[in-house]
Amino acid sequence: VGKSCLLLQFTDKRFQPVHDLTIGVEFGARMITIDGKQIKLQIWDTAGQESFRSITRSYYRGAAGALLVYDITRRDTFNHLTTWLEDARQHSNSNMVIMLIGNKSDLESRREVKKEEGEAFAREHGLIFMETSAKTASNVEEAFINTAKEIYEKIQEGVFDINNEANGIKIGPQHAATNATHAGNQGGQQAGGGCC
Amino acid sequence: MLTSVPHRKTWRKSKKTVQVTRSFPTFPSLNAWEEFRGLLPVDGEPNPGVGLGVEEGLLCQMVHSPEFNLFPDSVVFESNFVQVKRGRNWIDINKAPNTVALGVTSSVPCLPLPNVLLMARVKWHPGQSQTWNRPSKAPKIILRRILPLKFVELQVCDRLQRILRLRTVTEKIYYLKLHPDHPKTVFHFWIRLIQILQTGLSITTKDPRILVTHCLVPKNCYSPSGNSKLVQKKPQASHPSESLLQLMAKGESEALSQIFADLHQRNQFRSCKKMKIHKICTEKYTAREDSIPCTRDLSWRESFTCGEWERENPSGPQPLSLLSTLAASTWPQLAPSIGNSI
Repeated sequence: VGKSCLLLQFTDKRFQPVHDLTIGVEFGARMITIDGKQIKLQIWDTAGQESFRSITRSYYRGAAGALLVYDITRRDTFNHLTTWLEDARQHSNSNMVIMLIGNKSDLESRREVKKEEGEAFAREHGLIFMETSAKTASNVEEAFINTAKEIYEKIQEGVFDINNEANGIKIGPQHAATNATHAGNQGGQQAGGGCC
Repeated sequence: MLTSVPHRKTWRKSKKTVQVTRSFPTFPSLNAWEEFRGLLPVDGEPNPGVGLGVEEGLLCQMVHSPEFNLFPDSVVFESNFVQVKRGRNWIDINKAPNTVALGVTSSVPCLPLPNVLLMARVKWHPGQSQTWNRPSKAPKIILRRILPLKFVELQVCDRLQRILRLRTVTEKIYYLKLHPDHPKTVFHFWIRLIQILQTGLSITTKDPRILVTHCLVPKNCYSPSGNSKLVQKKPQASHPSESLLQLMAKGESEALSQIFADLHQRNQFRSCKKMKIHKICTEKYTAREDSIPCTRDLSWRESFTCGEWERENPSGPQPLSLLSTLAASTWPQLAPSIGNSI
């Protein structure tokens, strides 16, 4: 569905059309500023293949936010959202912020899932919703930053106990927070010449 | 005082409550131990693994840090590598002084063998010793990926150059040269680890102190009649679908079939691209290592189903860190090869 592409676009501001499948977990990070505060987003890009689910679910723990991604050109990825959402909620902090992402919005001609359907699913399950394109970078910044803002607001409201690092939030040496955000759902890919 | 007489020794980790009992077999060469003298843990003395930088190193510190808090009770075996590529000689893939920290650990400490591979990038400060695991000025270390070991094949590629070949199930291939600052002992550890990952570890089934609730003998070693026999290592598959069918039959099935289906699609995509390039450019084309089609020998993946020791979710907690047990059993067995090289 393009999770790794979304991450690459967010962290490196580039798009790679062909990626290797993500096995296990890959990591990305980026510093952002919210409310004048420097915040490091640490993003875990989990394998999207259904068969890896038992592996990836062990990494949900400690996430403050998650991006649940489907591909607007593949109805099946939308149909699987419920089970992924259940999985995420079952194995993570109950306060975790979840952003529903309909990716590949640039492929309008191949669209199989209407935007309204995504909105309705998000409304029904209390998620934030956004359509993105990792290829054109449309809404990619917004997707990650809005998720981070939502987490930040929950911190301000006292929903997240920032003294408990199990919540995925850590106050840095100069009050910079780290938000662990997980990109979820099927079909992530990542490639590159170097291994690290 | 070390002797060649078998003895048992208890190794209690100072930081953790894990207690490991070691069993040292008889060694053929006492001289081989001379080099190791002082490296074996003696109560009150520092852990030699720490001294060699293979335990409690940067990678371990990072994954155990509050930021990640991963596998907190598991030991991490790690070393630094430089990624290289094949040429007439091995060439560093990066000009920048980056190293790759490669480590194995266990998702839960009660697993008898490691099941997780960790990869991180380490950026050192100019002039800094690159293997010292507790530098005064910490290098920048960035965890890049966590891979289940069952989807990774590790091989010794070049013993002299101390190069490992790491191949993922998606046919991504990396050549990793052990950092020159590491002593040769460390490469022997990796050789031994690879052997253990490929063939298993006898101690995991024989040590009565390890409470194992399931039979560790690979399921497919049993015949229906109840007679067990060793399964011979299969020859290289002659036909790709044959390999796939073997894997399907062995039950690894879903994960692999999806991976290979995707791989085929990708390889077709890549092939199309390559064909186009080939048409445009009439120069002789050499396939990149990382685009090797998945129709190559897949027999190494037999290990996916090869035993209880690879199970992700053990049925119950066990008191020992068996990864430590692995390390413990590894030490003495390394001695002969070290002896040979003296």
